[in-house]
Amino acid sequence: MSMKHNCPEYSARLHTASDLFSKVKNEIRNGTLAKKNLVWLELTGCSGNIISLLDGANPDFKYLISQMTEFVYDNSLMVAEGEAAMDKLMSIIGNDYILAVEGAVATKNNGLYNIIGRWKGEPVTALKAIKMLGEKASHVVALGACATHGGVSAAKPNPAECVSVQSVLNRKVIKLPGCPCHPDWFLGTLAHILLYGEPELDSRDRPLLFYSTLIHDRCPRRSFFDKGIFAKKLGESTCMFKLGCRGPVTRIDCSTRKWNQYVNWPIEDDTPCIGCAQFGFPDQMEPFITYNTTRGVKE
Amino acid sequence: MTKRIVINPVTRISGFMEIDATIDNNMVVDVKTEGLLFRGFEKMLMGRNPFDAVYFTQRICGICSTAHSVASTLALEAAMGIVPTEQGRYLRDILHGCEFLQNHIRHFYQYTIPDFVMLPDKYPLYATDHNDFRLPKDKNDKISTHYFESLDISRGAHEMLAVLGGKAPHNHGVFVGGISTQATTDKIIKIKSILHTIQQFIIEKMIPDAYTIAQYYSDYYKIGGGHGNLLSFGCFNGYNELGTLYVNPLVYSQGKVNVFNPDEITEEIDYSWYQGKKDEYKPMDIVTEEDMDKSQAYSWVKAPRYCGVPYEVGPIARQWLSGGYKNGISTMDRTIARVLEAKKITEIMNVLLENLIPGLSIQKEYVIPDSSQGAGLIDTTRGALGHWLKINDQKLSFYQIITPSAWNLSSRGNDNLKGTAEQALLGTTIENLDNPVELGRIIRSFDPCVSCATHVYSKSGECINSIQVQP
Repeated sequence: MSMKHNCPEYSARLHTASDLFSKVKNEIRNGTLAKKNLVWLELTGCSGNIISLLDGANPDFKYLISQMTEFVYDNSLMVAEGEAAMDKLMSIIGNDYILAVEGAVATKNNGLYNIIGRWKGEPVTALKAIKMLGEKASHVVALGACATHGGVSAAKPNPAECVSVQSVLNRKVIKLPGCPCHPDWFLGTLAHILLYGEPELDSRDRPLLFYSTLIHDRCPRRSFFDKGIFAKKLGESTCMFKLGCRGPVTRIDCSTRKWNQYVNWPIEDDTPCIGCAQFGFPDQMEPFITYNTTRGVKE
Repeated sequence: MTKRIVINPVTRISGFMEIDATIDNNMVVDVKTEGLLFRGFEKMLMGRNPFDAVYFTQRICGICSTAHSVASTLALEAAMGIVPTEQGRYLRDILHGCEFLQNHIRHFYQYTIPDFVMLPDKYPLYATDHNDFRLPKDKNDKISTHYFESLDISRGAHEMLAVLGGKAPHNHGVFVGGISTQATTDKIIKIKSILHTIQQFIIEKMIPDAYTIAQYYSDYYKIGGGHGNLLSFGCFNGYNELGTLYVNPLVYSQGKVNVFNPDEITEEIDYSWYQGKKDEYKPMDIVTEEDMDKSQAYSWVKAPRYCGVPYEVGPIARQWLSGGYKNGISTMDRTIARVLEAKKITEIMNVLLENLIPGLSIQKEYVIPDSSQGAGLIDTTRGALGHWLKINDQKLSFYQIITPSAWNLSSRGNDNLKGTAEQALLGTTIENLDNPVELGRIIRSFDPCVSCATHVYSKSGECINSIQVQP
């Protein structure tokens, strides 16, 4: 299939993740692809991205752990606990692995605002864990708003002094902003890494496959915007620009992909996009909902 | 000779916590539960647009985000003097019900089951660190199959949520007045159809699986009790026409059920890493500041109290107070109460769905008052959740959140009385000190959400071996 995704078509978009997966599946079946280790680190955040991952369908979580990767570590789902869990995490260093990270990195008090475990008696902070595991991974994928740019964990006045994964790692970090990250954005990116290596990224390290186009440009309510017909309250079927919609500044494919087995998305739910997949969320995207205002468009 | 057992991370919970137990003669003689994540949402919310609290506070927790949208919406409605329509309430409660199901199914299969059932060990995620597995192979393997089947079912619960809520986690639908959108007939029947599948799974698999485990681990009916005080803010209750479908705001203590009085809630901070003008205060009084240099403090989970006493919240409290399951209060009873509640929620959702008027538009153009205050108290998946807010100059000027896991994983009160989960761990006999599997099982029965108990910190720089003999 084409590697160029600068202006993908609607139907191609809908099937990108599943297309990539069937390809991965075939490669594994043919023995041309070995399963790589996957480590999933939950750091300073709400652990909503691992929950979102469980919402993935075709591929789903079972396919991920049985057909795509050796899923080695995740705090929320693994059976082992305590020292045994940390041994598992640390033993991956020196092997080949992909690192998925959700959550920001709390740096206040040398990172002690977020401890993810104890190893050999010492507390392992989020800061220490990402430094230990981040530099040595074959690929680092930061998913969700907090990991990619600080997100809500770093919202003003940022009490835990949270920063992005990139700001503590001196290496390439693939970024999948979104609150949470859509399971397809992660699983599609992962499939690309497994099949072809790093996907084509924009200047801010987001895969073009998912992040190339503004929501506004493919919004089903765009015609209302063009005609100047604006909703005055939630629940209306017209353009919600004047209610605070951030679709005009948010690059992501929600408008064509949709969420949760593709049944709905915020604008179809008669609410404005709050820009959760754009850098700067939440502080630069607020107020999320306002009545009767007129704002200028800027990116 | 006393030993110290430290478990960190406690996996298969939401967020990060440590259990720090002192053991004498194989018995837990002292214990602390500590959360290990601090973000400070109450401070972040200062000065923000009040409406934004509905979406912002959901980011406290990825597994129970809808709960926070409901509590913040209730607090806003109270502050704005808005009474939602009955249809608005039904719709919002349907979304809330979807989250109960997502949570309970994932907590039972993904978080609880692996404590008792061996999952396929060809997957590295399922490697075990103990050998207390008692089920015969056929029963074990059947439940293991259900572990994977349940993934589709819990995903379906989030799909239902998205049908009216836009997406999940972190929905857009729950809002002042009810929900944002209209429930058209096609959406109602989609939800009913998914709900039917979920209900069948709960009845045919989830509840029998819980009783199978209970049969082989019946000793867990005898451990992990706690203080025995139960509290609920009420949920799916007080409808104008439908009455109470589940539970009213009630408390239970020393054999007596009483009506819940919100004025009796306080927080105490002598043993948590906080300072304030007072060390005991009501939710609307003060927001505390972090203080990591307090000598006797050991956790950033504060100590919520009702009439000065620790209370347990969650499915077992609701089942008990609503006259449902009343077998006892223990590790296994919590799990049984949770799976039975899942079935109850499907029944309630069906009633609400059948009472919907399709296509009704319920949103209005709202105006934020210059100054006001309000509280949103509601029982959510893990128990009683409270949001208290003040508005000044049309901005948020105060925000207080007390989560269910703060009640259950509370630090000691100012009177040195242990929190509920600490009390539940106390006195437990540890069969094998190298594999203290009992501690994790007891803690998980509370379904801890440490992401929610955001006021948390660990002792700076202290070094503890995972198991060490104290001098």
